Amino acid sequence: MPIEVLVQALLNGFGLAVVYILVALGLTLIFSILEIINFAHGEFYMLGGFVTYYAFAVGGLNYFATLLLAVLAVGLAGAVCERLVFRHLRGKTLNAFIVSLGLLWVLQASAQLSFGVLDKSVPSAVSGIVRMGPLIVSRERVLVMATAAALIAGLYAFLRFARTGQAMRAAAQDGDAAALQGVNIELVSALGFAIGCALAGAAGALLAPVFAVSPTMGALPVVKAFIIIIVGGMGSLPGAVLGGLLLGAVEGVGTLFMSSAAVSILGFLMVIAILLVRPRGLFGAA
Amino acid sequence: MTMRRSIGGLALAGLAALAAGGTVQAADKTLTIGLLGPLSGGAAAYGVELLRGAEMKIDEINKAGGLKVGPDTYQIKLVSYDHKAQAADTATATNKLVFQDKVKYIIGNAVGATCNAAQTITEPNKVMFTFVCWGTSNLAPEKPYSFRSMLSQWELAEPFYRWVKENHPKIKKVAVISPNDTSGKDTNTAVVKALTALGFEVTADEYYERGTKDFYPVLTKMLAAKPDMLDVAAAPPGEAGLILKQAMELGFKGAKGWTAGINPFTIIGVAGREAAEGVWSPATINVKGDHVSPAVRKFGEAYEKRYGEVPGAIAVSNYAALDVFTQAMQKAGSIDTDKVLAVLGKEHFDTVWGSLAIGGKDTYGIDRQFLYPFVISEVRGGKVVDVAQVIPAALKKK
Repeated sequence: MPIEVLVQALLNGFGLAVVYILVALGLTLIFSILEIINFAHGEFYMLGGFVTYYAFAVGGLNYFATLLLAVLAVGLAGAVCERLVFRHLRGKTLNAFIVSLGLLWVLQASAQLSFGVLDKSVPSAVSGIVRMGPLIVSRERVLVMATAAALIAGLYAFLRFARTGQAMRAAAQDGDAAALQGVNIELVSALGFAIGCALAGAAGALLAPVFAVSPTMGALPVVKAFIIIIVGGMGSLPGAVLGGLLLGAVEGVGTLFMSSAAVSILGFLMVIAILLVRPRGLFGAA
Repeated sequence: MTMRRSIGGLALAGLAALAAGGTVQAADKTLTIGLLGPLSGGAAAYGVELLRGAEMKIDEINKAGGLKVGPDTYQIKLVSYDHKAQAADTATATNKLVFQDKVKYIIGNAVGATCNAAQTITEPNKVMFTFVCWGTSNLAPEKPYSFRSMLSQWELAEPFYRWVKENHPKIKKVAVISPNDTSGKDTNTAVVKALTALGFEVTADEYYERGTKDFYPVLTKMLAAKPDMLDVAAAPPGEAGLILKQAMELGFKGAKGWTAGINPFTIIGVAGREAAEGVWSPATINVKGDHVSPAVRKFGEAYEKRYGEVPGAIAVSNYAALDVFTQAMQKAGSIDTDKVLAVLGKEHFDTVWGSLAIGGKDTYGIDRQFLYPFVISEVRGGKVVDVAQVIPAALKKK
């Protein structure tokens, strides 16, 4: 196997992993603050895809303006869901799990009724390819990777340095103690849920031109996101980043040596191995 | 007294029965036809075309006053279920059609693995079943009630690659990719067999899971062998389009084929004009092309007017399938599936495809394959252009 094919495979794997990390970060943010495992998270990714389809492909809006619109619209949809549904279920993991499954079907069926069942193509925001010696990557994927990496860095900076971000981390560590220090837990929870969903929406908007949009498009990224956060550790942002890169590398290189069916189970084998050796994941809290 | 009452009662009952009988004869009956298909997901384009093809024919029959079979006239009612290209969902949907909706005809299904699932219910219950699935095992002597209404890889692959060899002699190395299921495996098998027999080198015989969106990993492996041609063999339009788009992004500039390319218009939409440029499809029909009959052209115009899209081979096939089966019912003078079956083996049918024969015994061991001439098309400048018309070998024998 020539080395350039191996490096190309790694590049392919990392390229998409960065976007799945965005979805995983949203999922883990929501879990750490609300203790809710949101199975409907992929549907917010799907909503981001459809905002892009209607604003960019149909409406002709500028791509970056569309991206911003997708983040805001899906964030707002997340805030509404939190207010109407999940606020009452904070800390009730099992109840929230079942409700989120129901929400998944409601959102998916609503999308099928509203947008139709066929895949919808979104034109590329940029065209052409970038060659780095024998390596090739499309400009479109470079744009996706760079934007996703910027969003990940932005989220990290927000949580580390912004006052609201620090309040979120405090609420995630100990909600009662944070409340005693004057943190408005309800506001922080709503904001955390909205930001988590907005990240999924951004991921959907980024990948809409790369793939196509459909009501069922959220299924794959949410499975990848769960693998990522279980490997990285529930509630850990650096863990999600590392878990994502690890999954990207394993799947990217794995395809060179085995069939796609075998590769699709590699991620789950990773999950089983991690849970057996280190049940809390690579960076998860004890 | 008791006897008199009984006779009186019998007489009244007899009169009532006569009256009821008269009423039934005068009124139209309803013939419910079932349809299965992927109506959502990556293969939804197949199901939608099946449904629309059936709707067109059924509306035509109903508007003309119904289907006259023997002394009865039937209004046709269509019941369809979405099986999402999943075998488990297909079994559930077929059970509903056969036992709940009581259908005796299921006209239309797509995706190979789902056909096998449906046949476990249709065959023992003598339900007539037509499909466009590409699984080899879907037609067999032990499945007498099953018919394929569209040409499959076994009729198409060899003549298609013979045409490639004769018209594009620089193409020597071909890479093939299909979904990892029955129809995908069967298609790759037929394509690889044809390629090998014709002296091509097969650089990749690859599979992917249905629903895959990112083909960079598998394409990186396939394109490393530097094929002259990439065949997205049995990939449905959504996935075939993505493969071609991503192959172009990875620098592939060779020839492109789509052996199962039932509607090249759909691939242009997904892949974009640049990536779809030059794709050859042997399974297609260009309703606006030079090779089609006035009947196909008329069907295409009516379809586009009604649905706003250009029909592909699946829509035409299912329209023709309903035509063949309703003609067979009329010739048999009955809707009983065994009586209709007896007619189907013996006749040629005048359909939208022209004179259609049912053959395939050499390949499948039983004559259950619809046979008609096919066209190889090419995408040029965002349009679909016919480049050759080919007669399947089995049709020449008929």
